[in-house]
Amino acid sequence: MRQPMSDTVKISGLARAILGYLAAIAIVLLALLISLVLQIRFGNPFWFFFAVAVILTTWIFGKGPGWLAAALSSAAVLYYFVPPYDAWSLSWRDVPFFLAFTLCQIGTNFLIAARKDAEEALRRARDELEIRVEERTAELKDANQELVRRIAEQKRAEEALQAARAELARVARITTVGELTTSIAHEVNQPLAAVVANADACVAWLAHEQPNLDEARVAAERAVEGATRASGVIKRIRSLIHKAAPERAPIQLNHVIQETAELAAGQAARGHVTISTNLLPNLPDVLGDRIQLQQVILNLMMNAIEAMSAVSGRNRELLVRSRTDESGCVSVVIEDTGVGISEEAMTRLFEPFFTTRAQGIGMGLAISRSIIESHGGRLWAAPRADHGSVFQFTLPGAGGAKA
Amino acid sequence: MKETDPIVLVIDDDRAIRDGLESLIRSIGLRVATFASAADFLNAPRPNAPSCLVLDIRMPGQSGLDLQTHLRASGIHIPTIFITGHGDIPMTVRAMKEGAMEFLTKPVRGQELLDAIQKAIARDRDLRQKRAEFSELRRRYESLTPRETEVLNLVAAGLLNKQIADQLGNSELTVKTHRAHVMEKMQADSLAHLVRMAEMLKRSMTK
Repeated sequence: MRQPMSDTVKISGLARAILGYLAAIAIVLLALLISLVLQIRFGNPFWFFFAVAVILTTWIFGKGPGWLAAALSSAAVLYYFVPPYDAWSLSWRDVPFFLAFTLCQIGTNFLIAARKDAEEALRRARDELEIRVEERTAELKDANQELVRRIAEQKRAEEALQAARAELARVARITTVGELTTSIAHEVNQPLAAVVANADACVAWLAHEQPNLDEARVAAERAVEGATRASGVIKRIRSLIHKAAPERAPIQLNHVIQETAELAAGQAARGHVTISTNLLPNLPDVLGDRIQLQQVILNLMMNAIEAMSAVSGRNRELLVRSRTDESGCVSVVIEDTGVGISEEAMTRLFEPFFTTRAQGIGMGLAISRSIIESHGGRLWAAPRADHGSVFQFTLPGAGGAKA
Repeated sequence: MKETDPIVLVIDDDRAIRDGLESLIRSIGLRVATFASAADFLNAPRPNAPSCLVLDIRMPGQSGLDLQTHLRASGIHIPTIFITGHGDIPMTVRAMKEGAMEFLTKPVRGQELLDAIQKAIARDRDLRQKRAEFSELRRRYESLTPRETEVLNLVAAGLLNKQIADQLGNSELTVKTHRAHVMEKMQADSLAHLVRMAEMLKRSMTK
């Protein structure tokens, strides 16, 4: 590969050299011709055209042809323009002139060649610089790409971390709910057990052939006591929940929706679901607990993705919209093209422990609704026009809506 | 009511439940003793009557399950009815292994509990009677002289008087006398009865 290429270079170099020398001869001949014509026409020897010829030749074809041009020029001047004319001889009187001319030619050739070399070197340096710059640019580009890749990787890791955190928070919440439920169940069950035992005793005493009214009354009174105790437990739990009221801060739901959509993106991609958002610019803030509201939106989006997992033959699209109405309420609408909700399921959708999934615990929508209601809003569901379903919640705007 | 009438022992840390159960059980004419904790129960004198234990599985201090284990380890066998808020499986399994009679979830329906109590008491009455019969048998057996014991064992093994006499190096008449004493002391109606009693004793002693 390399050998023939350098051959070509050599050949073209030789050809250029030959061309240079031929051109030197041609140019000098042209200068001679012009000089002769001018001499015949005006009588003066215009030999300075030879200087032009040398300059031109050296400039275009380099030092070697330049020398040839200088030599030929000197010969032509000697022959045609130095008396005796048309002869190779030279009178002593004209020697200084001829020498000066020849030296001028040589000097010109030198200067021009040096100038040419300098320019050549400069050009090469510039080319080299350009190559260097290109190399550097390429290096920078690579580094930049690497940086972009790293940033993307970090972002992915951060997203994964955030998703893991959200999942952890969800699990922790469920666990807390589970523990709370167990303890509440026990607290309420105790007095209820007492109520049942006493009521049963009361009935038993009354069922005697001769009803023992005293015993029956005591048992009935104890049953009442137990029931009062049970309702007291419930009251205490209520006040406990109120005490642990979520914080209320102004929240821009559009941001929450975008964040949540990013959180759900992984799950959506796995389910071949496209998430799109249609968010109202300048959406009013709502007052609420950011984590709780994010929980609700995430839950609704996850449900929607889940509802589309069995869909085939149409696009799996999840659309989240934010809107506002004339009363200043903010609403979020989550639409899917999933399997939809049966009429029977629709009536029980928000009941605790109602689920249509094998591994669901059926608390998601019940908790979501209670969160929205504790924020003074409403959450409901409806079938979508073609396929799927629409979940929607509204919250009063932070600017004092007439909700 | 007499000291020997059946009695239900209720252990529950919740006073309201205790009182309710007590009233309910009394309403069907059974005696009841209630205890607020396992420790109270262990400190009280054991009643000498058919009884059963109604036990809340979750109690502060010693739990119902721990008490049951403790009682069995001390050789006290009382049929036990467990009451639990939410019977998780491992707990139920453990209780059943320890010989729980019944496992009821709270709140317990009165009739369900009373039925379980009746069954448990009937069983305890049965057990007590068997235990009483057996200790009487033991008492009779221990009243035999060493020679009479030997004769009883050989009779039970199906040997004839003559064979027993040969084995013990006695006269057949002496053996007959010993045998008459054994029959009398063991209060046996017949030879078959005596053999049955000997079998029962043998089984309990090899156990």
